[in-house]
This record gives sequence, C-alpha cells and structure tokens, in this order.
Amino acid sequence: MLKAAQRGVTTAITHPVTLALVASFGLGGVIIAATGGAPLAAFSEMLAGGFTGRGLHNTLGRSIPIIGMALAVSLAFRAGFLNLGGEGQLLMGALAGTMVAITVPGPGVVVVPVALAAGAAVGAGWALLAALGQTHLQVPLLITSLLLNYVGRSITSYLVRFPFGAPGEPFATTVPVPEAGRIPRVTLIPGGRVSISLVFVLALAAVLAVLYRRSVGGYETEMVGLSGPFARYGGVNVRRHTLLVMAGAGAIGGMVGTHLVIGETFRYIDADMSAQSGIAWTGLMVSLLALNRPMLIIAAGLLFAGLQIGGFAMERATGVSWQLAQVIQALVIVALVSRFAVTWKRRRAEAQATAPDAPEGEDAHVGKV
Amino acid sequence: MPLAEQLLDASLWASVTRALIPVLLAAIGGMICERAGVFQISLEGMMLVGAFGAVAMAHVSGSATIGSAAAVMAAVLLSLILAFGAVSRDGNPIVLGIAINILALGITSFLLPQLFGVRGTFQPEGGVRIPRLLLPGLSELPFLGPVLFSLSFLGYVALVLVPLTWFVLFRTPVGLRLRGVGERPMAAETLGVSTNTYKYLAVIASGALTGLAGAQLALGNVGVFAENMSSGRGWIAVVAVLLGRAHPVGVLGACLLFGFAEAFGFRLQGQGLAVQITDAVPFVVTLIALVLARKRFTRLLDLSETKI
Repeated sequence: MLKAAQRGVTTAITHPVTLALVASFGLGGVIIAATGGAPLAAFSEMLAGGFTGRGLHNTLGRSIPIIGMALAVSLAFRAGFLNLGGEGQLLMGALAGTMVAITVPGPGVVVVPVALAAGAAVGAGWALLAALGQTHLQVPLLITSLLLNYVGRSITSYLVRFPFGAPGEPFATTVPVPEAGRIPRVTLIPGGRVSISLVFVLALAAVLAVLYRRSVGGYETEMVGLSGPFARYGGVNVRRHTLLVMAGAGAIGGMVGTHLVIGETFRYIDADMSAQSGIAWTGLMVSLLALNRPMLIIAAGLLFAGLQIGGFAMERATGVSWQLAQVIQALVIVALVSRFAVTWKRRRAEAQATAPDAPEGEDAHVGKV
Repeated sequence: MPLAEQLLDASLWASVTRALIPVLLAAIGGMICERAGVFQISLEGMMLVGAFGAVAMAHVSGSATIGSAAAVMAAVLLSLILAFGAVSRDGNPIVLGIAINILALGITSFLLPQLFGVRGTFQPEGGVRIPRLLLPGLSELPFLGPVLFSLSFLGYVALVLVPLTWFVLFRTPVGLRLRGVGERPMAAETLGVSTNTYKYLAVIASGALTGLAGAQLALGNVGVFAENMSSGRGWIAVVAVLLGRAHPVGVLGACLLFGFAEAFGFRLQGQGLAVQITDAVPFVVTLIALVLARKRFTRLLDLSETKI
C-alpha cells in the first residue's frame, strides 16, 4: 500500500510534464537572474498572485477563454488538423457577437444567447474558409488558417474603426454593450464573482470528453486524425468530418471572442482585442500540454491562466515584466516536444541499470502529442 | 497617374525591393531547410529575435555591423532549439516551430522593458541604421539604379544568394548531399553522409539568414524595434518556400509577388485607402497564390502523415 503510494509519487515527480515544468521554471529563473532580478522572489509573487485570494478569481476568469480556445484546438487536433486560425476566428466572432448584443433589443435571456450564436456562426464561417480550402482546393489548412488571422485582424480593425465605431472616441471602439446584452457574473466561490461563462466552458469540456470517448462521431474523428486514408477506406467521409470539425472549432472560438467582450470588457476595443487574441496561442499550448484531453485541458488551462495572472502580480511587486509567463509557457511545450525529460529518465535508468521494467511507455505518451 | 504609368514607376519598384529583402533572406533559409528535409516554420520567431538582437546591440555598440552580427547569433541560438528538438529528439517540427514563435514573441516582449525600460517600440541610441550602398555608376542608371543598385549591404547579399544557393544546391557535392539527406535519407546515410550533421547545418543556416532578415527589417527598413514587428513576414517566407517549390528562382518569384503586394498596398494607402485594409493585401495575395498554385503541397494536407 505504502509502496504503491510511493511509486505513484515517484511517477508524478518523474512524469515528463512535471519535468518540463520544472525545467522551464528553472530556465525562467536563469533569465530573471541574468536580467538583474531575483528569481525566487519573482516566482513566489507569481504563484501567490495567480493562485491565492483575489488572484485566484482573476485566474478563474482568465481560464475561461484559455480553456475555450484549447478545446477548440483539441477538437481539430483529434481529427489531425492543426488549426492555427484561432486568433482570426476569435476576433471575427467577437465583433459579430458584440454587434448583435448592441443592436438586438430584448431581455438578457434572449440577447446573450443570440449574440453568442452570432459569434459562433461567424467564427465557424471564418474557420470553414480554411477547411473548404483544404477539402475542395487542396490548399493546406495549416497555412491558410494562419494567414486568415492577419486578414481577420485587418477586417475587424477596419470595421471597428469605421462602420461600427463609436463616434467621437479617441481610439477604435464600439459603443458599450447595453446592460441586457452582458453575460452575468455569479459568486461561485466566496470572496469574488466570476462570469457565468465559466460554467458553460466547463460543461463544454465535459460534453467534448464524452463525445470523444463514447460517440461514433468521436471515434470516426479520431480515426481521421490517426490515418486519413484508413478512415476513408473504412467508410468515413473525411471531407465532411474536416468541415464539421473545423466549423465546431471556429464556433467555439467565436463564442470565446464574444465572451471576451460581452462578458468582460463590454465594448469591443480594437487595440485591446488584438492584444487579447494571443489567447488563441495560449489555448493551443494548453491543448498540447493536455494531450487534447478535455479534462486535462481544464487543469492545464487553470495552470496557464494562473501563470499569466500571477505574471501581472509579479510585475507589480518585483518589476520583472509579466511576459516571462509566456516565455515559461512556450518553454514547457518546447521541453515536452523535444522529450529531453525522457532522455534524462532513460539516462538515469541506464545508470541504475537495476530496474528491469524501465518505463518505455512514456515515450509513446509524449510522442502522441 | 494612370495604372500603366504607376506600374513602371521606379519609386514603386524601389519599395518592392525594400519589402522583398527581409522576406527573401528568410525564405532562402527556409528553402535550405526544406531541401534538407526539415520543415521550418519558425522563421517568424527567428526574424523577430534577429530584429531585437540587432537593435539591442546596435544601441549598445553604436554599430549596425555589430548589431547585424548579434541578430545572426540570436536567431541561430533560437534555431538550435528546432535542430535539437526536431533532428536529435525526433520531435514534431510543426509543434516545435509554433512553440519557438511564441517563445520569440514572449522573450522579446519580456526583454524590451526589462533591458531598456520601454514597451512597444525602441530606437537605438543615435538612430543607428544599416546604410545604403550606392554602387558607383550603376546606381545612376535610370529605373534600375534606384531599384537594384542602391540597396543596403544585406540587400545585395540577399540578391546574390539566389544564384549562389542555386549553384551550391545543384552544382556542388555539398548541395547534392544536402538534397540527398532531404529526399532519400536512408540512401544518404548508406553512402556515409551524416544526415543529422546536414540537417543541423541547414537549420543553423536558416537561423543565420533569418537573423539577417530581422536585422534588415529593424535597422534597414524601419530603424526601430517594435513588438511583434515581423508581423507575418516569416510566415509569408514559409509560403514562399512552398510556392517556389524550394527552388531559388521560384522562391525569388514568390517573394517578388509579396514584395509587390506590400509595396502596392502601401501605395494604395497613400491614395486614401484605410491602412487596416492595405495591411491585409500581402496576405490576401498570398492566399490567392496558394489557391492558384494548389496541388503542390499535398504533403501538408494530411497531418496524420507527419507524425504529430
């Protein structure tokens, strides 16, 4: 019993993800020290600021779009597509959702769902452009979805500055979303309120988890991802799957974008939104870290959200700029994909040379990313 | 001006070459990797890190040459992550490339306030720039003078690299081995060619060239470092490699198209079109070119073929 627990702890400590996190923080510490900061003080501020007290509430709020974008990536990823267009899908959907929330009259129970649906529709449409390119024109989705980010950014920028812009403002923004069009905040844990979207995004994760594991569609999607030709041979309509999956990913992205406005800032501010759209990339990293598994995405999303929120606290307290969080996040992915943790483990196993059951399985686990 | 007259305008074509040079330098780097069988999509990040390194060291040293050398070093350092991860560790080059791009954006945005106490943009002290070299005699030529013979040193390097890489790739043993490593790695290995060495060298070369691209962008074209200033040029270089089928002439042609799109967009801006729209022109042109030249990249269509 005790031995099993011990083994569990050892596995957790030597797990590639743990090692990647430790190594990334280590390297992050070196970077802080090299630029004249105090690593330990900075990290303790970061962790305290991200995971305790008020910071925890902010982390929950930040995790909503991050988990959402990660789920969108996972959906496409399981079908074998790397959707790099999250940014554009988010922005296009956000502006559509915002404009609906501003213009459609009625009570909140009507306006908010309609706005989210509009955001989802436009996000899905934007994603479908890339998907159709792949299915009907043989242009790789990987590249087109990415290039469409820049186009989407230009279009939203233009629309917010000119036709949809609030007159008389010094910067490009829409008018504020009226009270009825805003997503309400609720008290989930005492001490602060968080947008009700959190409940929805967690529910979405649960639904996707069930879909991936239990449904025919989920199985077929995974088959398409593992081997397109095999799935085609097995009677799966790969084309239809590509379109459906990308539309789903885009719809999630569009809803996340809409949430960012009608659930957080209450007006679409161009500069603000282009800065926020980096969340699509954070979501991509979260999905990679979580091996595209919805329940793990929740955990990884909370972690990355906490690092970001904690980064702001760190900057306020120690002057070390918050972008360090982004550096650490990217280093985690680099470490995981490079599988240096596995080498380290193997070397240790070779050094010991006594353990007959050297865990080769971990390699496959990371390799599947 | 009527359209035909505009298209022959030397100042338009001079801005085409200006827009072209950084993309071309990066694309030639990407092309070398492609030939060695390494899928290189971290050009965007390496260009950004190069731009930062160039401005940072130009600020410290007051010299554009030292700045450019620093750009090369910074980008090569970053490229080693891809070399190690994708070549030595057999990690997925696409995921690694994306992570490297995010890392580059993070580290430059982190270092800017940390080292220089500013956010957004930073100009090196004394406004150090890479000077233009007017080739004696040639720069006096009508049209060709301003377009081709009044570039910065790095501009000439980029243009000379087109025939040079063609020669090395297709007319020397080194080039033959490099292509062999990319096309028939097993055969190359059997003949005693170390595939890993060639792949490492290709990735490092792409780092060096893309670093120069960043230096040209920051110290040549603009004169400042701005957060995320590569703004998609590295990705356009990736597409140029695909469109140009990793052939120097094809890559030059594709880069020329983007250079023209950027310059033309800039000109439209001068005629009153919103900057938000003209910014999109190079990307729209790229997308159209991808559609027109489709069926060249079936390799990329099915990610399941590349192991993720």
